Amino acid sequence: METKKDIMWRIYLVFAGFLLFGIAICVQIFRIQFVEGDYWRSKADSLTTQIRSIEASRGNICSSDGSLLATSVPIYDVRMDLNADGLTSEVFNKNIDSLSLCLSNLFKDKSRSEYNHDLRQARNGGSRYFLIQKNVHYADLHKLKQFPLFRLGKYKGGLLIDQRNVRELPFKELAQRTIGTMRDIKPVGIEASFDGSLQGASGSRLMQRIAGGVWMPLNDKEEVESKDGNDIITTINVNIQDVAESALGEHLLKNNADHGCVVVMEVETGNIVAIANLSRTPDGSYQENFNYAIAEATEPGSTMKLASLLVGIDDGLIDLNEKIDVGNGLMFYCGQKMEDAHPPKKTKLTVREAFMTSSNVGVSKIITHYYANKQQAFLSKLQSFGLNNKLGLQIEGEGRPHIKNAKDKDWNPCVSLPWTSIGYEVLLSPLQTLTFYNAIANNGRMVKPKFVKEIRYHGQLVKAFPTEIIRDSIVSPSTIAKAHELLESVVDSGTATALKNPNYRVAGKTGTAVINHQKFGYDKNNKTYQASFAGYFPADRPKYSIIAVVYAPSSGVYYGGAVSAPIFKEIADKLFSNEMSLHNELAASDSLNKNIPEAKPGQQNDLNKVLASLKVNALTRNAEATWVSTTGSEEGVVMTERNTHIGAVPNVIGMGIRDAIYLLENSGLNVKASGKGAVKKQSIDPGTKIIKGQKIVIELG
Amino acid sequence: MRNQGGILQNIDRWMVVIFLLLVAMGWVSIYASVYNDEHQSILDFSQNYGKQAIWIGGSLLIALSILIIDGKFFAAFSYPTYIIFILLLLVVLVVARDVKGAVSWIDIGSFKLQPSEFAKFATNMALAKFLSTLDIRMKDLKTKIVSLLIIGLPAVLILLQNDTGSALVYAAFVFVLYREGLSGNILIFGFLAAVLFVMTLLVPKIVLFSVIGGIGLVFYFFVRKKRQNILIIAAGVLIASAIVFSVDYAINHVLQEHQRTRINVLLGKEIDPKGAGYNVNQSKIAIGSGGVFGKGFLQGTQTKYDFVPEQSTDFIFCTVGEEWGFVGSFVVIGLFMILLWRIIYVAERQRSQYSRIYGYGVACILFFHLMVNIGMTVGLAPVIGIPLPFFSYGGSSLWSFTILLFVFIKLDAYRLEILR
Repeated sequence: METKKDIMWRIYLVFAGFLLFGIAICVQIFRIQFVEGDYWRSKADSLTTQIRSIEASRGNICSSDGSLLATSVPIYDVRMDLNADGLTSEVFNKNIDSLSLCLSNLFKDKSRSEYNHDLRQARNGGSRYFLIQKNVHYADLHKLKQFPLFRLGKYKGGLLIDQRNVRELPFKELAQRTIGTMRDIKPVGIEASFDGSLQGASGSRLMQRIAGGVWMPLNDKEEVESKDGNDIITTINVNIQDVAESALGEHLLKNNADHGCVVVMEVETGNIVAIANLSRTPDGSYQENFNYAIAEATEPGSTMKLASLLVGIDDGLIDLNEKIDVGNGLMFYCGQKMEDAHPPKKTKLTVREAFMTSSNVGVSKIITHYYANKQQAFLSKLQSFGLNNKLGLQIEGEGRPHIKNAKDKDWNPCVSLPWTSIGYEVLLSPLQTLTFYNAIANNGRMVKPKFVKEIRYHGQLVKAFPTEIIRDSIVSPSTIAKAHELLESVVDSGTATALKNPNYRVAGKTGTAVINHQKFGYDKNNKTYQASFAGYFPADRPKYSIIAVVYAPSSGVYYGGAVSAPIFKEIADKLFSNEMSLHNELAASDSLNKNIPEAKPGQQNDLNKVLASLKVNALTRNAEATWVSTTGSEEGVVMTERNTHIGAVPNVIGMGIRDAIYLLENSGLNVKASGKGAVKKQSIDPGTKIIKGQKIVIELG
Repeated sequence: MRNQGGILQNIDRWMVVIFLLLVAMGWVSIYASVYNDEHQSILDFSQNYGKQAIWIGGSLLIALSILIIDGKFFAAFSYPTYIIFILLLLVVLVVARDVKGAVSWIDIGSFKLQPSEFAKFATNMALAKFLSTLDIRMKDLKTKIVSLLIIGLPAVLILLQNDTGSALVYAAFVFVLYREGLSGNILIFGFLAAVLFVMTLLVPKIVLFSVIGGIGLVFYFFVRKKRQNILIIAAGVLIASAIVFSVDYAINHVLQEHQRTRINVLLGKEIDPKGAGYNVNQSKIAIGSGGVFGKGFLQGTQTKYDFVPEQSTDFIFCTVGEEWGFVGSFVVIGLFMILLWRIIYVAERQRSQYSRIYGYGVACILFFHLMVNIGMTVGLAPVIGIPLPFFSYGGSSLWSFTILLFVFIKLDAYRLEILR
């Protein structure tokens, strides 16, 4: 019994030991949860909850019809922790080959062995943040996550992913410079000018860290909602922009020019429909690098002659038919040579002729004639056209225009006036020149060029930018009429006859200036030119004004009429063909009158609907029929049932392609069609028994 | 001979039910601790919880097979099993993979086997077999030495694999020996040694020696009449001093840096919330933030840190503490306690000595795991990486515990068929 008792004791003791420990643990848990609970909970909160700022998503920049010009997309930098704790040598060595192959196949930037080598070297070098690839898109990232090693995740496979938002331009180069970029140094374009509106407001909220290291928002009163950025709706028309950009690029290349720009503006509203700036890169291609149209104020040259003459006309001094003695197109002002580009055909030109042939001697002579004694009056009038003020554009970085005053130190009373009258000693940016021409097109009303027409937030209008009028009338209506006449004569029989066409009339002025460009300087033997064309169309009721400027063409041709006018034409042609409102209304006699239109055979319901909307009588022989043939008659279109038997090839002769394919494919035939119009021929005769999947060829014509 | 109703007739329902409950709770906890939005299905086999489902399926099959095997088999094959696993442990030392500093895995295809987990059950069988041999007396020195060898051999091999935690488990067999007649003095001696061990770490050596000397002097006053007692006291003082010195030496020269830090952190001598104390701190934060009823299933935030290592293996208990609170923790510990009580109760009703000793072994191994694992998550024991039985993620661990327990259930079911 003694042994038994001893054993019982031992049993109790052993289990008592177990129990004691169980109790100790429960006590400890109790202590942690209740006695020290607050302490641990506060630590938990500090570790897992945090007020984190929520970045607002930046607004989009859209074209006038809402297509995205700039938007933010997430992009990823992929790195690898090659010495992750869970990444053993064995796993690494087993997978590194296949991983290298996958990476090489995906990115195609390095060969498999290069990847292999680089990764091994980085691992041996102790790298924990090895850059695999920057700027990986989501679709590629998704693939990448399935690669050997990477699919093991962060700790075992070492895959590290950093997400950023980047700005993507879906139309790539299109209007790139005008859209701009928001960078730290010298941000430009709409991105910069409308940054405040685009960026939105970042919010903050209390978040908690949950599974997978993800931060999850906790509902809390303190949180500040982030507000997405507003969308900027520009006035850019993507199609026209595309035409403008490619026309400009093509002609820059053709003329081997340094750079150029083109701006298309809607006459009435000042909307900038297209704005392209291209400059030559070292490899000979052209890129949007600088907004010349807005920022580069240069001597405009001959396009200025319009303004000069308008001063005289508006002052009632100059008459278009007034004769000027231009001699042989060469004269001297205080020893300074003034020369016409082409020797004039006659020694005496009317003002109109001097303008349309762009005679330097002619224009400078008549201006000097009337204004030599009141030079400031001439200059003041020029300035009153708004040509000496910045336009105050929506995009920053506008070049400063400059028209001198007679009391200025650099004003030479003998030389400055004639040269100013033909566009030298004056600085204007292409957009400023265009604004002036646009005002002429707009019957004297000068409107401010507009790049952004609306600001929207999630589709709702936040702010609209109405057209701003700079000057209601820069010159008198009769002067405007003369200006129109002058500009039209340039195209009709002057320096820009290349723009003459039967569809629409163009009015404009060529400009060819010898320029003092920072890169080239004035050089008597090797002159650098700036060829431009500013104008509008249709001349009788102007809709668009366009300026095209090409700097430093170097293929031997440098006249505005030869270099820049073709750019104008390409864009104008496109605009014209796109816009029905520009076409002359069809003559009444061309209309359909009472004739019964031709109707192709098809489904009776559809035909009824179409004919009803055209207000043409539809006469049916069988209202129940689905497919009908059609014939015209005096009263209207007569529809007769077209028999379609199940299992037999239907008759599709005369039908349109949609109906034909629908009917044939539904019968189980494989259709191959060629040509356009109505079905002329079908390769299997109607009524033939159908073999499923059989091929039938239909010819349309 | 009542065993005619099939294998499920005589099995102990308590143990089976608790086993199933613990496994199920473990699975849910693993799901909660590695849960992420991308893989929400609990049967997603790319995730730990999906894999655990496979392991659980396997363990149920294993349990069933064990119940089918003849009860005579286990006693008869104890030594061969033991030898096989000793050999496997040797193999591991040669070909094993390096997982987190411990060399304890063998790759068989894509399957990773951890022989040290299974060695526990083999050792238990061998020890039971040896102690149940006729004419074995615990008092004999030879018995003590052989027992020590059976227990010590795998422990040393596992220690050589650098898996200190698993090796320490073998110390639990001391309770088995005690039940079988080992002198309580040895336990007391062991206990005192442990106290001295801790004291050495906490108290300056001069103080410690003075206390030891003082106690010796007090005893000397009481027993100085007998010369023999004086010798015993002198020996005691000497041994105590020797322990102090050797512990000091071991701490500074034998233990590795991280082990030393873990012990110091546990004792509060070092504060290192980012390093060795990090896990424990995180674990305490998790459990502490649970409160009475916990945050609820999948609502835990602490246990889901991806960068807290071992959240689904060694630190699985945090998930219980955080998501199910004090009540949940209490239930889990309660279930384990009932299981231990049931195992001891059932062990004591065995007619076969082998079955009884084996049962005690099971209880001791489970207890040790429980003590160290939960002890470490609540900061009562140093961080020693051993799994929580039936709970932790991992095939080897789950299967070895299943085998361990179900062999005992089978032995119990079989008890009525053997006379002795």
